[in-house]
Amino acid sequence: MYRKHTRRAAKAAFAVSLGVALLIGLAACGGGGGGNTTTTQTASKPTIILGSKNFSEETLLGQLYGQALTAKGFKVVYKPSIGSSELIDTAIKSNKINFYPEYTGVIVLDLAKEKSPKTANATFRAAKKYEEGRGLTLLNATPFEDVDTFTMLTTKANALGVHKISDMTKVARFSYAGYPECQTRATCLLGLKNVYGLKQVQFKPLSTISVYTLLDNGTVTAGDGFSTDPQQLQKKYTALVDDKHIFGFQNVAPVVSQKLVSGSNGKLLEDTANAVSAKLTLNAMQQMNNAVVVAKASPTLVAKKFLQANGCRS
Amino acid sequence: MSGWLLAAGGGGGPVIPNFGQGSACERSGGWFCTDWVRANWDSTLQPALVQHIELTVVAVAVGFVIASVLALVGYRWRPFDLPLGVFTDFLYTIPSLALFTLLVPFTGLTVTTVEIALISYTLFVLYRNMVAGLRGVPEEALEVARGMGLTRVQTFFRVELPLASPAMFAGLRIATVSTVSIATVAAFVIPKGLGEPILTGLQQSFGTEILAGSLLAILLALTADGLLALFQRGVTPWSRIR
Amino acid sequence: MILGDSFTPGTFVDAFRFIGDHATLMLDKTGETAELSFAALGVALLLSLPLGLWLGHRHRGLFLALGVSTLGRALPIIALVAFFITLFGSIGFWVNAAALIVLAIPPLLTNAYFGVDGVDRDVVEAARGMGLKEPQILSRVELPLGLPLLLAGVRIAAVFVIATATIAGTVGGGGLGEIIANQASYGLSGVLAAALCVSALALLTAFVIGLAQRAASRRMAPRT
Repeated sequence: MYRKHTRRAAKAAFAVSLGVALLIGLAACGGGGGGNTTTTQTASKPTIILGSKNFSEETLLGQLYGQALTAKGFKVVYKPSIGSSELIDTAIKSNKINFYPEYTGVIVLDLAKEKSPKTANATFRAAKKYEEGRGLTLLNATPFEDVDTFTMLTTKANALGVHKISDMTKVARFSYAGYPECQTRATCLLGLKNVYGLKQVQFKPLSTISVYTLLDNGTVTAGDGFSTDPQQLQKKYTALVDDKHIFGFQNVAPVVSQKLVSGSNGKLLEDTANAVSAKLTLNAMQQMNNAVVVAKASPTLVAKKFLQANGCRS
Repeated sequence: MSGWLLAAGGGGGPVIPNFGQGSACERSGGWFCTDWVRANWDSTLQPALVQHIELTVVAVAVGFVIASVLALVGYRWRPFDLPLGVFTDFLYTIPSLALFTLLVPFTGLTVTTVEIALISYTLFVLYRNMVAGLRGVPEEALEVARGMGLTRVQTFFRVELPLASPAMFAGLRIATVSTVSIATVAAFVIPKGLGEPILTGLQQSFGTEILAGSLLAILLALTADGLLALFQRGVTPWSRIR
Repeated sequence: MILGDSFTPGTFVDAFRFIGDHATLMLDKTGETAELSFAALGVALLLSLPLGLWLGHRHRGLFLALGVSTLGRALPIIALVAFFITLFGSIGFWVNAAALIVLAIPPLLTNAYFGVDGVDRDVVEAARGMGLKEPQILSRVELPLGLPLLLAGVRIAAVFVIATATIAGTVGGGGLGEIIANQASYGLSGVLAAALCVSALALLTAFVIGLAQRAASRRMAPRT
């Protein structure tokens, strides 16, 4: 009978929906929890949980190291877009990740909050010493540096007649855009205010919109563009000279947990990562950043191409 | 191992392959760079789509279960209906980004945080519709059931539930479409789902990536809605699909 | 943008203290959100009411009304914002307003349609029989009778727009969203405070429109 069929069908449908829903919910809970922490296995290769921060150069670096390590037989789990250095540092301290690429100057000046060393080498050594006191270590650093900058539209810089950051003292009011963590960093807003004495700066936090778009729009006077951004090579933008050197030395070195490099495969891991780092010159990074940002290629493919050309992966 | 780089092993610097400059379309951040879509489907767009489907399915499924329980409570025991209704209303007015941010201290920058927020939003739609559906069952039908001597439980499953199902399906469809839409905001928390290409495209002023992510999200929502409508028609043919 | 601060019961207390300490800021930001939301709602009403009312009167375009409703729900806000920002190449008030207008139109259009379409045909016939012209039927008979449903749509749209307007804060649009998106500057208590203000604004607006809705229904209730 028609009525019976539909009644039963409706009952069945509801029961099935409920059942499916419960199953999905349970599966989600079961599947979602795993994969956070690992212990180093002695005979076989440890799993590398590789984190990276939330901008394209970091994603690229993560892929470069990750793919090279995968080629050598390590299992790599990627955790991209973790956020600022402060956040990712918390992540590695709490074992949510065990490998991530960091800038040496940020470690010394912003995490350790020490005074700025005089050379890139000294910065590296100070950073390594700091991390080793916390159960972590630093592998070799890259030749290239990526420092924060004080970038403006060239037309604006000319109009204001400024060439180095100290010149900004003569500007009555101006705004500076940076990521939120910039506000508490000596390599950023605090340096501008305290070392350069630019108390009149108005900070504007960056999130989804790129700093270059904000500059183009005239929303801010200056912003924290990164020195390896492809836009820095354009005549349209100018980075003022950091004459008081608040931005420090910023080579990249992988921060890894000591557990990862002890054990029988520790040397293989170190050598693999060091081999990659050695290849990352300024020119190489600029080309790769250009490929990602301007040519809109995916960081995964760009890293793959670079590693293949240099024999780090097949 | 303290060896500082620049030793860089033998030979000169690295080999830098020619990455090309990208097509003119890509360089200018155009809206319809089909070559980009084709090149990046596997690495960027398809994973985002799959992640988005997962996020939505889990949120709607768990929300359905919870809402069913709450709706039964609110329907059976009237005094609970008002507070439950007010609570789910209130959840809906909290902006998604705020809810994510406030959950992060508890559940971290994880899928769990996103799911809890998405489930809260589905509860709003589902609870109201389920209770309204159950309440909308005509008194005559209940009297007939009573006359036939059906027990309370029998009445529920044989009379109230089938008659309430059109409203429940309507709620399910609305909740699913809304969840697909809100799940794009998850990209502010974790790099998953179709919000990720949209935000990346926005950052790079790259129209194609924005359009690709957006169209996939819209199509996903409409497809889900259509499938649910078909399911509804199959199961409750007497009801008019709106 | 999202940090690892801890959330304790004390955070609630801190949130209220935040509102107290930063009363001017909160009022300014709430004002900005309100301005953006109501501007978008206003424009959306202007665009969708005439069409919805007219279609409902003619009993045409049911498919359109339903389709728009589903489509509107399927449009992600960040997609619309990203689209308009990249299209116009600028950020600020009007790109965010544009996105919100697009989102507000569907519920307004749909409810305007169904409000008018659902009016008792006999009543409309009677009005026609009395010699009223089409526009008069719409304005004097169908619109007042359809007002409750229309206002319900306005209420839904208002709550939705106010809550969604916070996304504007992530792209330089100001408002309470700017606080929510900047945990680093305002702390978790600030984020909670801003969220509560959004909620309050939305609930207050819904309440006021609800009053109007009830007044409209009461006027039309059959007098026994």
